[in-house]
Amino acid sequence: MAFPLPRGITPPEISFLAEMEMVTILPRQRLEGLELLGGPVSPLLPPRRTSLPLWLALLLKRQRRANILPPPWLHPESLELILEIETQNDEYQHAFSPPPPLPGQPAPGDHRRAPLATPRYTPSGEKYYPAPPFLPQNTARDHIPPGEPPALPFHWLEVGTMLLEAASDDLVDPDQTRRLLKELREVRMAKVRAGVDVLDAAAMGGGGVALTGVGAMELGEGRRFIAGVVDELRRIGASKEQARREEMAEEMANGGYDGTQDDDDEMEF
Amino acid sequence: MDIDDILASVDRTADTSTPESTALDHQLLTRFWVAERAVPELLPWPTSLMERMMERVRRQIESIEDLAASSTDPITHHQTSSTSAATTNLTLSILQSDLSRTQYLIRSLLRQRLSKLTAHSMHYLLLISRPNNTQPQSQQSQTDSSRPEDSIPEPPSTDDTDVISPLSKEEVSFLHAHQTLLAGHYGASFLNSFPPQLRRLDDNAGGTSMVQGPDGKEVVFVRCLVEEVRVVVPPGDGVEVEVEGTVLRMGEVWAVRWEGVRGAWGRGEVEVL
Repeated sequence: MAFPLPRGITPPEISFLAEMEMVTILPRQRLEGLELLGGPVSPLLPPRRTSLPLWLALLLKRQRRANILPPPWLHPESLELILEIETQNDEYQHAFSPPPPLPGQPAPGDHRRAPLATPRYTPSGEKYYPAPPFLPQNTARDHIPPGEPPALPFHWLEVGTMLLEAASDDLVDPDQTRRLLKELREVRMAKVRAGVDVLDAAAMGGGGVALTGVGAMELGEGRRFIAGVVDELRRIGASKEQARREEMAEEMANGGYDGTQDDDDEMEF
Repeated sequence: MDIDDILASVDRTADTSTPESTALDHQLLTRFWVAERAVPELLPWPTSLMERMMERVRRQIESIEDLAASSTDPITHHQTSSTSAATTNLTLSILQSDLSRTQYLIRSLLRQRLSKLTAHSMHYLLLISRPNNTQPQSQQSQTDSSRPEDSIPEPPSTDDTDVISPLSKEEVSFLHAHQTLLAGHYGASFLNSFPPQLRRLDDNAGGTSMVQGPDGKEVVFVRCLVEEVRVVVPPGDGVEVEVEGTVLRMGEVWAVRWEGVRGAWGRGEVEVL
């Protein structure tokens, strides 16, 4: 038994991953810059703000060496707005509220700009597109452009919970924040449960089920169930799928195949 | 590939000792770990990335030891005030936390890979062995001295570069030793009391191979990182070409079959969650 954990990262590992998110701190003491294996850390010079990985920020916070500036979304007003999108907006009755856009991705609802992903390159020359937890989605921002809706980052539940636990005195209204996080969690878990109906689409070859906007911890909780249901549905439908594939092969051999599939596998969660 | 890509690839620094490349490698390792933990099959071993990471870990351990030694050194200890000693302790604890986090990533990654290797050991042995070394064994299996170990394919020689192996060199030798022990054990406990033709571990009598591999049809969760990615259905069941399915758009998270996005993952266009 080389490894006892199930496939897919487990909730403690998701928290571990969330601790790599960058947050903004206000140091209360000086410290030289450090060369960490996770990347360089700039020197701490009070009262200059700096961005650190969450695990380091929490370590400093617990020793009262720094204050954490909460991310803009972790504010009662932003959370109220997101909760309103989740519950009142017709567009998101069966989907999660839109996540913060990736670099190069236009804001939701902005159809004038086409998405454009700009890669970085790894030392072996492969393309690399940064994604959470390595995007500044939890750092404090001085200026938020008007019209930009608040959005829950991928690791919202973990970052929110950890900040509430270790740095509640740095948050605006911790009790209200805690209540709103709990409400958001319940609303979104109900959506995950209601989405079981469309899981059939992911059981077909080439199909899938969209979960856009889902949080890391929500995915971690639903992973076993969703993957189990889809795999079971696939086994039940295996002979049907094989028959369809054989039919397609026959059509292709006769030259009658026009490259389109007549299945309805594009379904929103 | 357009002109920007070419410029960017020329522009990138081959120097891997800069702090920026440390941060990038950390992100690559983290993403690879998450993917390896999530997908059903063994992913190709990232040789150069792991070499860089192991070298960094080694150097970091050295520098932590140096720092720890200098802070407890009686000669320098007199001169330093208590505040700087406290700062050294803080620095040490930060460095050690960071080291432990990286070591956890590497350890978890390696153990996950070993677990996948042992679960489908014959599948991976057949995958890495050259296809032409199976002929002499099929004659051998008819003799009375046939043993279960004979069905284990020889590992590729180290200078053999035309076999693309997803395993590292250490994993190949582990896998071969593991399967040889296992086959010896099966032989000693029950297989040697069977007729010789039933002793093989890679029997495919009746058209059904007894070697089981990972199931690429299992579902994984991915995030699309580029403008557009198409889920594909690989050839099979009589259809000879790859058929395209659903379109994933930038920033979207989907539950799809692993085999449908394996190619896009290899190009770095999707991220496994």
